[in-house]
Amino acid sequence: MTLDISSNNFYTYLWHIHGDIIFKTATLEERRRYYREEWSEKDLPKFITDELRMREFGFDHLGHGPNDRYKVFRGKDSLRRFLRYKTPFAAYISVAFYNNPRRRGDWIKSEYVFDVDAKDLPIRSCDCDGVCEICLSEALEIVNNLIDTLESDLGIKNIHLIYSGRGYHIRILDDDIMDSDSELRSEILKYVAGAEVPKLKYGNISEGSGSSYNFEHFSIPIAYPKVFTKRLKYNIQHLKGTEEIDDINKKLLKDIIKNRDLLEDNQWGIFRSKIGPRRYKNMVTGMARVNLATIDAKVSIDLKRILRLPTSLHSKVSMKCVEVKDREWFDPFKSAVPKFVEERE
Amino acid sequence: MVLLSFINPLSEEGQEIVKEKGNLENVFSSNDELIYIATHDKRQNIDDDSLIPESYGDLAIKRIQWYIERKNNKNFNNDDYSYLFNEKITEADVISFHLISQAIATKLSPNSREARFFVESQGKIIEERIVKLPEQERKEIVNRILNQLIFQESINWKFLKELVASKKISLTDLVLDEGNIILDKEDFINRFGNKFKDRAPDRMYDIIIGDSIKELILTKMIMQNTENYLQKIREMSSKIEVHPAISELSEKIAQSISELTSKYSGFYGVGVSEGSMKIGKLIKEAFPPCIATTVEGVSSGGRNDAIVLLLTSFVSYARLYPAIFRNEGVDVKISDIDPNLTITLNEILPLIYEAADNCSPPLFDDQPQEKINITSKLGFGMYENPELDHEGETTWYTPMSCEKIKMHLPQLCRPDKLCAKIGNPLSYYSRAKWLMEKEGKSANNGNSNNNGNSNND
Repeated sequence: MTLDISSNNFYTYLWHIHGDIIFKTATLEERRRYYREEWSEKDLPKFITDELRMREFGFDHLGHGPNDRYKVFRGKDSLRRFLRYKTPFAAYISVAFYNNPRRRGDWIKSEYVFDVDAKDLPIRSCDCDGVCEICLSEALEIVNNLIDTLESDLGIKNIHLIYSGRGYHIRILDDDIMDSDSELRSEILKYVAGAEVPKLKYGNISEGSGSSYNFEHFSIPIAYPKVFTKRLKYNIQHLKGTEEIDDINKKLLKDIIKNRDLLEDNQWGIFRSKIGPRRYKNMVTGMARVNLATIDAKVSIDLKRILRLPTSLHSKVSMKCVEVKDREWFDPFKSAVPKFVEERE
Repeated sequence: MVLLSFINPLSEEGQEIVKEKGNLENVFSSNDELIYIATHDKRQNIDDDSLIPESYGDLAIKRIQWYIERKNNKNFNNDDYSYLFNEKITEADVISFHLISQAIATKLSPNSREARFFVESQGKIIEERIVKLPEQERKEIVNRILNQLIFQESINWKFLKELVASKKISLTDLVLDEGNIILDKEDFINRFGNKFKDRAPDRMYDIIIGDSIKELILTKMIMQNTENYLQKIREMSSKIEVHPAISELSEKIAQSISELTSKYSGFYGVGVSEGSMKIGKLIKEAFPPCIATTVEGVSSGGRNDAIVLLLTSFVSYARLYPAIFRNEGVDVKISDIDPNLTITLNEILPLIYEAADNCSPPLFDDQPQEKINITSKLGFGMYENPELDHEGETTWYTPMSCEKIKMHLPQLCRPDKLCAKIGNPLSYYSRAKWLMEKEGKSANNGNSNNNGNSNND
């Protein structure tokens, strides 16, 4: 792997040489140091501290998954005391707000979440086992695309991006969405993800009920077809050739990669004719599935899930879960590495 | 110009008509004016007296009949119901619309099959009435009704979120920008004019949006409002005594629907004839792709949900109570059908456990507690094995819908042709069984099914 020293990015550099230093599980001593010396309640995002007492907290003390649930904190102070004293392996907070969070009773509303985990991306350029700089940056590109669509097409507001330690959570606190059920959430997800094959046929009633037109998604540079085209192009450009995708066999995968340069100038028509109409349809169907699989959809439709608490430590990989302030330039190796990692031998 | 209530019976004008002319005393009395309109419609088939609505009540029933016939009858003749699309019928039609609403909301339920047919039929009636209008009038009436339904200049899609959640409108069919649904031509050209390189934007507007999205929104909104209206009547009805004519009408509607659905069985309810809804041995050849895959075993990641949530509920209902969705709201326990749990213990659980063993790694090897979760999903509490004493401690989980499977277990959803027609794996099963029976390929006796010939595509 070549290393760009001029980027002067110490952590990236560190990762390149000693990938295992960063992604090593944190010891109890390291967790203590983190929560007692580095963690500060001032870093808690406002959307977390507002109405804090209406949320359920969950903790994983031993690294076997969250089993200490139904916890409630009256405010930042009691949360700080708990974290300093218990120094949990992992800390979680509910996406839901309850009148009675201790029993998960009397549900009021829930954040709407998109969970993109770098290690689970169905298409990614790297070959790493867990996560690495490459797939993390691809996950960031994907969440940025999702947020763009959420904002520009759907006009959804109050969107927060969290780096979770191994991927990203988009956490949405738009009032119009928070009180909605799983059905609406799954409909939005399908649009934003590009999980549905766009329709081909457009009816035009003003010219008589008989006439209709066929348009491939790439001929319509607006609305949902635009979203789908964008996601499709991203996927195709990131294919390695070793993926196993339903509806796309080895030969088709090879031909897609062979011809993908055409998409640099958006020459979709020629690209499609090189692939052939029948196989193009297979490709589109397969890619719609990939788009759905890119996001952990069951998190999005779950109204009572708990998510990693921003500011908490992801002990498994020794990374901080942090709110992303500048999503264009965010670099987890700059902003999410706890101090104790720097001092590791 | 047709009356607005010809398209939207819930409009103020429609409500005025009901106030003035609606009278529960003459729901079933012969109505000369109505008969005259129907028999004097230019296209109406008048050979058969039974085709002509004689009263408001009769018209109410025929409205729904039309919908079911039209959808299922291969020899359906439009001229049998031509009067439904004659604007002269508006007043009687509005009254009959409100009568059906009363009958369904008070005596049946807003979630009943009858309610669903009614709301769907209303949507189809609107669609066909709009299509038959002359172009200019069609545009004008659509705009006028939309203006009544939507108060703002441009609508945010969130205003229609109920319609999106209930899948009456798909976000992917709308042209959205900054949350607004773009319907206006000028607005469209302002926003997207420069995006089109090879095609004229105004032409693309006509093709992509034109009037079709407006009409779609209008139709779906009226359908949604009809549902809300049923709900509202339902809430108020507890305080009022139901008029005998309304009771009679609801019985007649229910009867007519059940006659027609059994005539065209295979298309409605769970999508099959009563025969294949009966309890019988499991026919694996009729399993939908997601279940067939699960039975063969699932790799780690989706194992738990596939076995505990999907397969457990599917197999138990498919074996014991395939009609669950037809009889929604019925509170049923496993022991109602399998009193000694013989079938549960000897057929259902072995199949689930076998599938769990087929998983890689085998599910119970590393997660023995999942046996308890399976028992719990069958309604027998949190125990290793189902026992009658514990029944009812938890509820018997109904099978996940296709929609949920796509989200929770996307790796299992590999739809085939039949999948396009159903929304739940259990419906697939009943329908596939019905098709197999129809083609004589399956053993009707269920005891021995000839596996040789199961591939009927």
